[in-house]
Amino acid sequence: MTDGPALAREHSLPQRAGRARYLALLVPLFGLVELVAHFYFAQRAPKSEEWTAARPLIASWYKAGAVVVIAPYWAEPMARLAFGDELMPMRDVARPDVTRYPEALEISILGRRAPELEGWKVGREERKGKFTLRALENPSPINVTYDFTDHVGPSTAAVRIEKRSTPVDCAFNPSATLESGGLGGTPVYPSARFQCPGEAAHVFVGVTIIDDEKSHPRRCIWSHPPGNDAELVTRFRDVPLGSKIHGHAGLGWLIERDRTVPPFTITVLVAEHEVGRVVHLPGDFWKPFEFSLAGAALRPTADVEFRVSAAGGGTHVCFEADSR
Amino acid sequence: MKFRREPGSRRYFVDHLVGATLAVSYLIILVKTARAIGYARDEGFYFRAASSYAAWFEHLFRDPAGAMQRATVEMYWSNNHEHPGLVKSLFGLSWNYLFKRWHLFADEGTSYRFGGMCFAAAGLWLVYVWGARARSRAVGLVAALLFAAMPRVFYHAHLDCFDVPIAVMWTLCAYCYWRSLENLGLGWAVTTGVMFGLALDTKLNAWFLPPALVLHALLARGGFIWRGLKRGQLRVPPALIGMAAIGPLVCFALWPWIWFDTVDRVKGYAQFHLNHDYYNMVFLGETYWRPPMPRAYVWVMTAATVPAVTLLLFFIGAASRVRAMLALVSSRMAARVKDYDPRGTDLLWAIGLSVQYAPWVFSTNIPIFGGTKHWFTAYPFLCLFAGVGFEWIAERVRSLIEGGVLARLPARAIDVALGAAVLAAPLAETAHAHPWGLSNYTPLVGGASGGATLGLNRQFWGFTTGAVTDWLNQHVSPGQAVYIHDTAGESWDMLHRDGRLLPNIGAAWSIPGSAFALYQHEEHMETIEYQIWAAYGTSSPVHIGAYDGVPIIYVYAKPGQMIR
Repeated sequence: MTDGPALAREHSLPQRAGRARYLALLVPLFGLVELVAHFYFAQRAPKSEEWTAARPLIASWYKAGAVVVIAPYWAEPMARLAFGDELMPMRDVARPDVTRYPEALEISILGRRAPELEGWKVGREERKGKFTLRALENPSPINVTYDFTDHVGPSTAAVRIEKRSTPVDCAFNPSATLESGGLGGTPVYPSARFQCPGEAAHVFVGVTIIDDEKSHPRRCIWSHPPGNDAELVTRFRDVPLGSKIHGHAGLGWLIERDRTVPPFTITVLVAEHEVGRVVHLPGDFWKPFEFSLAGAALRPTADVEFRVSAAGGGTHVCFEADSR
Repeated sequence: MKFRREPGSRRYFVDHLVGATLAVSYLIILVKTARAIGYARDEGFYFRAASSYAAWFEHLFRDPAGAMQRATVEMYWSNNHEHPGLVKSLFGLSWNYLFKRWHLFADEGTSYRFGGMCFAAAGLWLVYVWGARARSRAVGLVAALLFAAMPRVFYHAHLDCFDVPIAVMWTLCAYCYWRSLENLGLGWAVTTGVMFGLALDTKLNAWFLPPALVLHALLARGGFIWRGLKRGQLRVPPALIGMAAIGPLVCFALWPWIWFDTVDRVKGYAQFHLNHDYYNMVFLGETYWRPPMPRAYVWVMTAATVPAVTLLLFFIGAASRVRAMLALVSSRMAARVKDYDPRGTDLLWAIGLSVQYAPWVFSTNIPIFGGTKHWFTAYPFLCLFAGVGFEWIAERVRSLIEGGVLARLPARAIDVALGAAVLAAPLAETAHAHPWGLSNYTPLVGGASGGATLGLNRQFWGFTTGAVTDWLNQHVSPGQAVYIHDTAGESWDMLHRDGRLLPNIGAAWSIPGSAFALYQHEEHMETIEYQIWAAYGTSSPVHIGAYDGVPIIYVYAKPGQMIR
């Protein structure tokens, strides 16, 4: 195999003392270790069948109102395939954050933990094959009295545009044309949405999903204002109030990442009184906000308005909020 | 290193016989395994361009004068003129003759790809011969096999793309230059010039050949050149003159697009690549789409995708050569003369390797969207040094065994055992990587799942559609359309033409117009997956093409649609 004699001449090997002589054997050993490591790592993560087999156990642990969280995050699609919408509904998968959930069921593989559940108390833990299941309790549980994203419909909300104090009502259309923007484009314009007469197609209010700065999904209320400081106003009627309005706003990482989009403002009114204002600057991405309701919380219910505006030609806006 | 004298034609015949055996074996493996790999996005574009060029060749054989007319040339060659024509011409000729006329291929797509596969096969031959001539057959053999057993190289070796062809052409041109240094006659100088022209007509990486070889000439023969200049003699290696004189002419002759408006079109070609878009690429969990690009990218990605034992052998080989060169420098004059390598082989290999990495080392403006393929041109040299490393280790293991109970074993048996030990992991990883290719990561980073955890790219080009065609054939009903996401239309169409997709499964160009939707995961494309969710009203896929438990391509079905 080798050109032995020539090589022997070329390299006169000094006699090496002691164990150092054996170092050369480490190389073929290294190769064999890599081979073993290859087979180990190829089998390390659970396959689709293993996720499916784990479903009954996961279902037996699952409680309504809890959120199923997968660690590491990249494995979540395998869980969604195996567990389906019953255990992992889109509302939870595209959650704004985990603060709203009293409990979480963490499905861990490869020894990973979910960063968003850091600080949660482990109530129960079990290892099953390649999975570790943990039932976790929220250390600061809250009671969500109203999720605005769940109530974007004609029976609970009304939408209007206000241009120089002149309101124009936006009608709810349950079967508008579904549109999707593709890569770099806008998110889906849902078929059920409030459409504003005389405005471009993107000026509407409806529930869609955007990507945050970590490319995670965020379900939110699309609320693209028409621009020129006109306001797109969504009014939710008879909202059961908690002590604060908690939410997030953004416009999608892929759209916002060049930071060339204009800023926008969301003004939140409870019973006609402003309780807070979100000013979103380019690069804020999926940004949380929280406003205390103070005096307004003394009422059991009130109308809540989200008034969205942006300078120039307007901009994409998507927000979510709850009262808690 | 010793400068080997020409030991006779028989030895070279045997070397080429071994090289040819390697090449043919690899070619057979590539052809046999090609069908499992879906068609990459760029392949689709090159199918179209190659067909157009093949039609021009038909025109040329039928009506040579007419084919040379500007309007005719532009009609056939304007397609994909941002890349030179040689390799696409070969794809097209392969398709035209081997598939259409002679029916040697069952799959149309494979007939296009065959041109690229031939380059990969020739690459093994070349690496073996260079290693064998410069060092020993063991070096050549181990280097060639390590090159073949690089998972990413194996994937790209199947494609009708330019990345493996340019890696081979670059190495071939360097090899011809190296041969020219042992024989100052015109033969190898002219050959180097021709090969440079072919490399220029392959891909832009060829632009790095002149500076690399000039640098080598200056470092290896600077004194000789300088002394010549002082005497009024130009002692430039003839191969460099051949490259300057012949290379551009060959490129010009074989790329009809630049026959007209030559300056503008060559300038346009250069401008296209010098101002190339920054496509997205994720690295350690962060998506990069504009400069500055991460400096660690080339190193981490090389470490994460080249088998670790290959890298270890490379470091040992390179270190052993540095040590040998330092020893030579410090040795007495007589020994220097004896061991002097006038061709500067080590230096040439080192330059050949370094030049490919240099753009990313010296600039953060160089795009990284191609993953590892943009520095494939370094890998033949990396493997040659790895072959040297193997030889160095083999010598030491043999010396260990001398005097022991295994001393009766023939040296070849020891070499074979060592070769098996160092080749086993690369071969196993490469075989296991198929057909996922770009999703593969080595055990050094924990395999595919480790790569996913680190936030490394799982794929690009939308080729993994090929991994779900069986599922689509089984579950999509006639007339239902599939949103094909990142798969190019021509690539999808080729799956039909190959019979890999049932003819009644159509492509949908928008999510709302689809009954099924594919999502080929890339971080920056997540917005597409969320559009599918919002449009379909579910976040649960109905099927996932996964590699080692890592989700790569997901299939969604619109609720209410009939799934077979």
